[in-house]
Formats: sequence, structure tokens, C-alpha cells
Amino acid sequence: MQVDISRLKAGEVNLGTSIMAVQFKDGVIVGADSRTTTGSYIANRVTDKLTHIHDRIYCCRSGSAADTQAIADMVHYQLQMYTQMSGGPPSVHVAASIFNSFCYENKDALSAGIIVGGWDKEVGPSVYNIPLGGGLFRQPWAIGGSGSTYVYGYCDATYRDGMSKEETVEFVKNTLALAMSRDGSSGGVIRMCVITEDGVERLFVPGNELPRFWEGEEVISGKKRVDTAEPMTVEA
Amino acid sequence: MSIMQYNGGSVIAMVGKDCVAIASDLRLGVQSLSISANYQKIFPITDRIYVGLPGLGTDVTTLHEQFRYRVNMYTIKEEREIEPQTFAQLVSSTLYERRFGPYFIEPVVAGMQKLPTGGFAPFIAATDLIGCLNFAKDFVVAGTASEKLFGVAEGLWEPDLEAEDLFETISQTLLNAVDRDAFSGWGAVVHVITKDKVVTRTLKGRMD
Amino acid sequence: MASPSVYNGSGFDFSNVTRNSFLEGRGLPLPKATSTGTTIVGCVYRDGIVLGADTRATEGPIVADKNCEKIHYIADNIRCCGAGTAADTEFTTALIASNMEMHALSTGRKPRVVTAMTMLKQMLFRYQGHIGAALVLGGVDATGPQLFTIHPHGSTDKLPYVTMGSGSLAAMAVFESGWKPDMSREEALALVAAAISAGIFNDLGSGSNVDACVITATQTDFLRGFVKPNERVEKERRYVFKRGTTAWKKEEIKNLVVSETVVGHGEQMDVS
Repeated sequence: MQVDISRLKAGEVNLGTSIMAVQFKDGVIVGADSRTTTGSYIANRVTDKLTHIHDRIYCCRSGSAADTQAIADMVHYQLQMYTQMSGGPPSVHVAASIFNSFCYENKDALSAGIIVGGWDKEVGPSVYNIPLGGGLFRQPWAIGGSGSTYVYGYCDATYRDGMSKEETVEFVKNTLALAMSRDGSSGGVIRMCVITEDGVERLFVPGNELPRFWEGEEVISGKKRVDTAEPMTVEA
Repeated sequence: MSIMQYNGGSVIAMVGKDCVAIASDLRLGVQSLSISANYQKIFPITDRIYVGLPGLGTDVTTLHEQFRYRVNMYTIKEEREIEPQTFAQLVSSTLYERRFGPYFIEPVVAGMQKLPTGGFAPFIAATDLIGCLNFAKDFVVAGTASEKLFGVAEGLWEPDLEAEDLFETISQTLLNAVDRDAFSGWGAVVHVITKDKVVTRTLKGRMD
Repeated sequence: MASPSVYNGSGFDFSNVTRNSFLEGRGLPLPKATSTGTTIVGCVYRDGIVLGADTRATEGPIVADKNCEKIHYIADNIRCCGAGTAADTEFTTALIASNMEMHALSTGRKPRVVTAMTMLKQMLFRYQGHIGAALVLGGVDATGPQLFTIHPHGSTDKLPYVTMGSGSLAAMAVFESGWKPDMSREEALALVAAAISAGIFNDLGSGSNVDACVITATQTDFLRGFVKPNERVEKERRYVFKRGTTAWKKEEIKNLVVSETVVGHGEQMDVS
């Protein structure tokens, strides 16, 4: 799953992104970086790619900023109509299905990779992935955007069923930080939303407080790098 | 070669003291072949408004007819003559209507605008081929010699020229600019509009 | 042919497209429209919004207009700076201004900035980037000061300070180093002027003067020619030609004042 840059029109604003949604015991955590680019210029370094769709449903947007904003606005409208007519909040599946039909029916004109996450009273927490061609897949966790390719292995190795909220927050934060450090089109800050039955809690990690991993010894400890390895002995 | 250069031709308009002038060359060509030395690109709209239409010949005719029609309809509906400012907006919206399939014309408007006090004020405007208006206070240019016209006019124009001096300035600007443009020239025509008369002079120019 | 009215139906007319693409196919490239290679900015301060713009319009390498207006009216409390294809910014903002007035009249409320933003983004998205308008929209409404950027494809951003156009990089550098929250009117105006000046002097597509617009909850001040760092000095010499320099072949004079004399005839009526 990769954002095909060539599908974007010339000069179009791109969400070359790292986005993520993970299901846990009590809800869903959606997370994203904050970088929006036009070519090599960062048009917005504090973008909010976590878009409110309904009271307990959020989506993460990747691909063309214009396309994904337009789709999110239309789904938001559809769900308001749905709520009024059916008398209750929509399920996450309903929201994801509307996203799916927009993305599938207009697949030739759109470049939008969307992850929908939320909580409903029918099935509890759920995450749906709608990648570029307009498919619809329910997954326990989903990652997307150009940065996601770097962290599939990390996610496979780290994810466990039935994690706590705190564990999941750490998982999302670490995954996104790793993706942002490797992907030039991702960066800035990490935004997260914890969606549970009780409500939506927004979390924010500033750019200078991102989780850090091995960056070379001199960066971590301030020490000069010393060659500790024994010189190879050559037997005579 | 661009479509704008296919038939050749240039127009310029200038503001003076209580007067405006609009002038154009008289060439009509097909690429480098000259066809006519008496091709009028400036048309009267009302007594005190003239419009210059440099660009593709076929569109000169079409647009002139279109403007004549729309101005006539305006006059009938409003029961008054159109003012230069209003006409410039009409030109602009007519062109923008064809935003995605434009006429290859860059119109120049010159006229005397009626004031609430009863007097007249000079008015000039130009648009690009999709109708973006440029209200200049000094001069506007368009056509194949526009770059040269910009340069010469920037040097020669000065504020508050009397009608006769404005005639000399606009004539010399046009003549000297089109002499350095292969697609414009072959004679020129100048209209100087004041509150009570329009003086039209056909100039002697190089015929090569 | 045109419709039988001066007041035309709305929408674009595509009837020249076939002809023009034929001409293009014959190796005659379509000409360039006036574009505003521009610096436009907006910034939030304590009491509202400051918008700024340069005043240069270009046609390729030629300066087409040295003092054009790029801050467009949307409503009394909302203004919009335009960059990109000049005609597109002009007509798009005029259309939205008209629709906003109608909307305000029908709802009986003071218009909101998000309303204009939504109208603009939906229109630009519908045209899929073919309408080349890049906008900075700012204003103060019932919900407070609001500032947006709108890209030609219809995406929007909401930020406390924004720049657009070819000079946006130069202007953003000024904002990134100088912007702080809760500025005074004077501080905000000075910062906006510095940002636009950075565009004027470092970006070839931008030039001439700084226009600014300050919008607060109670009033809107449009400061046309707020800074004029490129005034032309008066010419040292006059270049007026002696009358009679230009040789002409034919002269026609059309008199616009018709004089008439009224001649009485027959028996005069007795009015005594």
C-alpha cells in the first residue's frame, strides 16, 4: 500500500503521510503526523489529519488533501442525515461503507487512502481500512500513507490483542515516530485521538518530544564514538 | 509561433489631461505574409468609447459583433448609453465566460467617463484573453508589439498631456515600437477623444 | 451565438474549445493568461486579522500591472487575498462575495468566514484545479477571528499565520521567525509589511507596494499602498515631442457637441 504520487495532479497539495488506527480493549486510537506538502515545500507543519466524522467516529486522511477533505465533508453530511432519519448514531461500519462507496465509485478521479476508526454500541471498537482502489477491510490495526511502508515490520512484531489504553498509545506513538523519522514526506508533531464509549480524548506530542530510537551513539549520549572492536587477528 | 501572433497587430491607449488616446497599427497578416495595410482593429462603441481588439483576426470580427450586440441590448434595456467602466466590465465578463476556450484577443478600452458633476474623466483599461481587467492610470498596451510598447511608453509618457501633445506621444510610441515588431506596422491610426470631439488621424508609417 | 439578453445565463461557454484544441494540434501553442506571481499573507493578532498583499501582476516575464489590487471584498467583515491566475481570483472572489451577500440577506445574520471558505473550497474542488485560484481568506465573525488558506484543488488549512503565492517562502521565513501569539495591531501590521516586503524584494514574481487590511470585530480598514518602497522618482527631463512631429495622411474630426439655432416662423403666440 503506497501513495502513488504520480496520481496527484500537478501542484496538488499532498498528504504524504503517516497515519494509523489501532483497536484496543475499550476503544480505538487513531493517530497521524502533521505534515502537508506541495512538492518539497511544507505547506502546513501542524495539520490535523484526524477528522471528526461523527461523535464516536474519526478518520485518518492520506493522499490528496483536497480529495480527502471533500470526501470527509460529504460523509460527515451523510451521517448527520442518517442520524436524523434513523434516530440514533451510526455504526462505524456504516461510516466506513459510505467512505468506501465514494472511494470506489470515483476511484479514477481520486487519490485518497482513508482509515476509519471509532466505537459503536453494536460491535464496540472497530477499525476499517479503505486503501487507494476503494476496498474496505476491517482490521485490528491499520497503517497508511507514504510513511507506513517503513513500519509494517515493527507493527507486526509489536501488536498484541487486548492491549490496554496506555500500551496502545505507546504503540501508536512509537510507530508514527519511526515512520516520520524515515519518511521525508511525514513529520512535524503526532496527533492522536482516543475514542471510547465515554468520549474522545485528544493527545498531542510536540516535535521535540517524539520518542527517540537509536540515532548513532554520539547523538544519544553525547559521547564521541570509540572503536571498541578488537582488531581482527590474522593467523599467521 | 503562438495563435496571438498569427495575424499580428498591436494597440495602445494613453491618458492625457481631460482626454484619452487609443492607437493601433493597420497590418493584417498570415504569419509572415502581409495581407492588408488597412485592417482596422479599433472600433467605436459609443461616441466617447473606443475598443481596440488585437489578436486573432477571426476573433476580432466575432468579438466586435458580440460587443455591438451586447451594448445595443444594454442601451435598450437601460435606456441610456453605456459608460466606459461598465463597458470594460462587459468586455471582461464576455471573455471570462469563455475561460476554458478563450477568444484570442486582448482588448483595450479607452473612453471619457461621465461624472456626476456633468464633466468627463479619462478612462482606459485592458484585459488579458480571459478577461482579467487592468485599470491603469497612465497607459495600457496589447498585441504582438506589447513588450516594445511597454518600454517606449514607460519612457515617453508623462502626466497631464494636452490633446495635441498626447497625439504626438502616443503616435511616436506606437510608430517606434511597431518598427521593431515584424508582425505589426504598415501604417497606423490614432483616435484622440476629448469631451466634445474625437480626432481620428491616419499616420504615415514604414511599409516594410 | 449569445443568448438574447445582456444579462447572460451563468456558467462557462465551451463552444471555442474544439477550435482551440484543433489550433493547438496544428502547432500553435495556447497563450498564457495574466498570473499574479504573488506574495499574499494573513496573520491573526489580539483583536482580529491582518491581511497583506503585494501589487504586481505579471504576464510571463512582463510586469503587466505595477499597482493592482489583490485583496478582494467578500463581505464587510471578510476579505480574501488572491494568487494564481488573475482572472480566476478576480471572478471567483466576486462570485462568492455575491453569494455571501445573498446568504446573509436570506438568513438575516452576519456572514461567517467558514461559510465563505466552504463555498470557495467546494467550487474549486468541483473544477478540479482548472480554476487556478490560491487564496488567503480572513475575517472576524460571531466565532472570533478566522484565517484560512484555500489551494486551487480545493483543500483548506486553518492556521494562525499563512502565506501563499510565489513569494510565500520568503514571507513564511519572516513569519516563522517573527510571529508570536497575542500581538498588537501595530506589531501585526509591521510583521505583515515585513513579510510582504520579503516577497517584493526576494521574489521576482512579486513587486511594487504593500497593501494591507486590518479586520476587527467592529471595523475593517483597507490600507491601500500601506508601504510604498518602490516609488518612481520624477523624470529629470521631459520627453514631449514638438507639435507636428508626427506626419499624418488623413484627419477626421467628429464633433460631439451639436449646435443648433432655433428659427421662429409663422405667427408668434401672444403671451402678454
